[in-house]
Amino acid sequence: MSLVTDQSIWGAPASGVAALERELARMRRVQSAQAADQGHVVARAAVLNLIVHASREVHARRAAATIRQLSQRHPSRAIIVHVDSERPPGFEAALATHCLLPAADAGRQICYEQILVRARGDSDERLASAVIPMLLPDLPTFLWWTGTPPVDQRHFDDLLALADRFIVDSADFARPDVTLQQIARICEGGHGRYGVTDFNWTRITPWRELVASFFDAPTWRALLADVTGIRVGFAVDADGRDIHPSQALLLIGWLASRLGWRPTAALAPSEAGGLLFSMRRADAAEIQVRVRPRFERGLAEGDLSGLRLQAERAGVLTEFVVKRVPGMSHALASVSTDGTLVSSRTIPLPAPSVTDLLGEELTIAGSDRIYEDALAALVRLA
Amino acid sequence: MVIPATTLANPLRAGPRLARVPEPSILVIFGGTGDLTSRKLLPALYNLALQRLLPPAFAVVGAGRTPMSDDQFRAELREAVATFSRTKPLNEEVWASFAERVRYVSTGSPEGYVDLARTLAALDLELGTQGNRVFYLATPPKAYEPIVRDIGLHGLSRAGGWSRVVIEKPFGNDLRSAMHLSEKIHDVFSEHQIFRIDHYLGKETVQNILVLRFANAIFEPLWTRQFVDHVQITVAESLGSEERGEYYDAAGAMRDVVQNHLLQLLALVAMEPPVAFDAGAVRDEKMKVLRAMRAIGQDEVAERTVRGQYAGGFIEGTKVPGYRGEPGIGTLSQTETYVALKCYVDNWRWEGTPFYLRTGKRLPKRSTEIALQFRSAPHQVFSRDASAGLDPNTLVLRIQPDEGISLKFGAKVPVQGVRIRSVNMDFVYGASFMVDAPDAYETLILDALRGDATLFTRRDEVEQQWRFVDPIVEGWSADQTDLPTYAAGTWGPTEADLLIARDGRAWRKP
Repeated sequence: MSLVTDQSIWGAPASGVAALERELARMRRVQSAQAADQGHVVARAAVLNLIVHASREVHARRAAATIRQLSQRHPSRAIIVHVDSERPPGFEAALATHCLLPAADAGRQICYEQILVRARGDSDERLASAVIPMLLPDLPTFLWWTGTPPVDQRHFDDLLALADRFIVDSADFARPDVTLQQIARICEGGHGRYGVTDFNWTRITPWRELVASFFDAPTWRALLADVTGIRVGFAVDADGRDIHPSQALLLIGWLASRLGWRPTAALAPSEAGGLLFSMRRADAAEIQVRVRPRFERGLAEGDLSGLRLQAERAGVLTEFVVKRVPGMSHALASVSTDGTLVSSRTIPLPAPSVTDLLGEELTIAGSDRIYEDALAALVRLA
Repeated sequence: MVIPATTLANPLRAGPRLARVPEPSILVIFGGTGDLTSRKLLPALYNLALQRLLPPAFAVVGAGRTPMSDDQFRAELREAVATFSRTKPLNEEVWASFAERVRYVSTGSPEGYVDLARTLAALDLELGTQGNRVFYLATPPKAYEPIVRDIGLHGLSRAGGWSRVVIEKPFGNDLRSAMHLSEKIHDVFSEHQIFRIDHYLGKETVQNILVLRFANAIFEPLWTRQFVDHVQITVAESLGSEERGEYYDAAGAMRDVVQNHLLQLLALVAMEPPVAFDAGAVRDEKMKVLRAMRAIGQDEVAERTVRGQYAGGFIEGTKVPGYRGEPGIGTLSQTETYVALKCYVDNWRWEGTPFYLRTGKRLPKRSTEIALQFRSAPHQVFSRDASAGLDPNTLVLRIQPDEGISLKFGAKVPVQGVRIRSVNMDFVYGASFMVDAPDAYETLILDALRGDATLFTRRDEVEQQWRFVDPIVEGWSADQTDLPTYAAGTWGPTEADLLIARDGRAWRKP
């Protein structure tokens, strides 16, 4: 992108925190006056600070659009940190208060404040010092890192130290196998100071829900101790590019951590692509695990396409299957015993947008132990 | 909260994200072809299905007097859901999968219940619902008793699993009838199986009253007679009696709103902290408040109550007829469409603090709110001129619409010298959280399926509420004078203003 900051997106420039707060206050006054003319009152609401880190302008813009869409649900002060290491040292801060139009019946407007901190050149040491004074006091701070977090850099540690909750998307990691291990270490190091989450974890919540709901029925629940195999399909694109199955592995990690399965050997690629390995149940019986790539239209790379859990007891094979219906926003969940269909139902399974994912994550405060356990189990697999 | 042990034991349900889904069960709706079913219950069930909150083994059986095939019933429900669902458009696949497990049984003939028993047994076998049933009585009240009797006679509630019965309001029309009804239901169900609906309790913002009071430490110390001057609770509707004319004319505002919604709101505002957020503890505390309410005897009716009936007037610029001109209402009807009460809760916390309650139809706008007005500063250090714009501190809990909480306090106007004006600190629920709160019926149906009775009214509460209301109604009927009227689109009769003005106070304009 150009060197010039697009003021229509990022607002007027203001150098220094004092000038920035003055500018925000001025805009609030203007808005209040305009709203008063129309008989409204502007309610300034904020429930959180959101720091977004982006190393590319396009990511920063996308994040800004996402936060704008969420401002109805999560009024916030959003500080978008765009680190552009190609540029000479120095900061440029631009800010804007954006006020969405009120809903016709509400008669109220909701403000959120968006601040851009653009860092150029070597800003590693000084970045946090520009962000800290901009945070609203007494509100939780979420740190959303777009792309791969540079865990060895100073500014990463500094920003993480400000956060109550750290959000990544392992779908955007350059090397998920490496970075997921680092994230697991960050989880361990958090010690309750911050919670960690991954959009890929949010994406599989409906899948976990479906798997769990099979076993709400007491008759099926007993079979959780008799699982003999699991197959998970994940989407790849047509050119067969190597995709890391983070979602599939998180799902398996989740089952393993909840049900006490242990890895027996390191992950190995299977002949047909994907992964084939085995785990051990608590009673030491073997579980065959297969993670298979599938090309399916309408799915993003790495998204789950289906799963099959097999359990065997007294010579009877029971299979629990969830299959996304290709091209549709729903799935079929079915149970069969020895090949005979026992039950089947259609369940909504829409593909969530980044806005949905972030919106979901912003409602959760504190750490998600179930995720941390699942991630730890995933890391042990590798 | 009572969580079924079997669901709790599912190790995959651990963690904050996976909601607790009810156990496998069948929901039987009596009054399956009725208005409530199509406007509220089915849209709520469909939305629960969309959120994946229904158990995999789940079926809905509609029961009604009209003979109808399963397919006809499904077609009617589909139409209703498409029209009344809060989410649109209809997701065809999800609906189709849901509708597959919808049945209809006509209970109009003597064999009806035999049919119903057979249908339920077949579904148990097919789906593995293990005899778990919720019977939802969405019928006119006069049908409650015979339906429950027939459920008992045919052993529908004893099919090997648990069973519950959900009963819509009104629960009786006075203490005697409510007790009678409870006894008849107790022939078949015990109290822990009975879920009496007061849909107000299913509203997010009503539940938020408890969160505001008991999850925060700063409000509770102020929540007493020492600091609170008085409390006003308003349930205002702009609608008239509409299609419910016949029912409403027999009930009136007192039975329709005060006996249930208003007294429940009062109980939630006035109650002591419960030891836990569960059905037993919360309802015990509400019950204590209801018992502490000072009775309004027949001789005090004139002094502490006001009733009224709306005459013609204007609502949002449109001319509307008076109550006696509404469909189904007699021209000499003495039914009240407005009630104002001055109540006291005689306990340590609230002694001497009046609770002013009011409700009415055809008031200027739809609004439900609870306002705690605090005492003025004991000594005013600022001059009378400076503090002319100062109102007492008020904490307002807005239930609907525009849910939120506001706190009014005095601030200095930025001029030279001191001039004080009241300002509002406003928390708009919809602005801080998701706008799309679940519908009250979604919450209540899900709770009934899960067996959590916290948000339902218990027998002793309902009876205590009638015990409070009955003498007032009797006092009114002994009064031969014509009841006061108010023009539609105004805040009630002048007598209501006098009721509160006598104490040197005034009604809020919500």
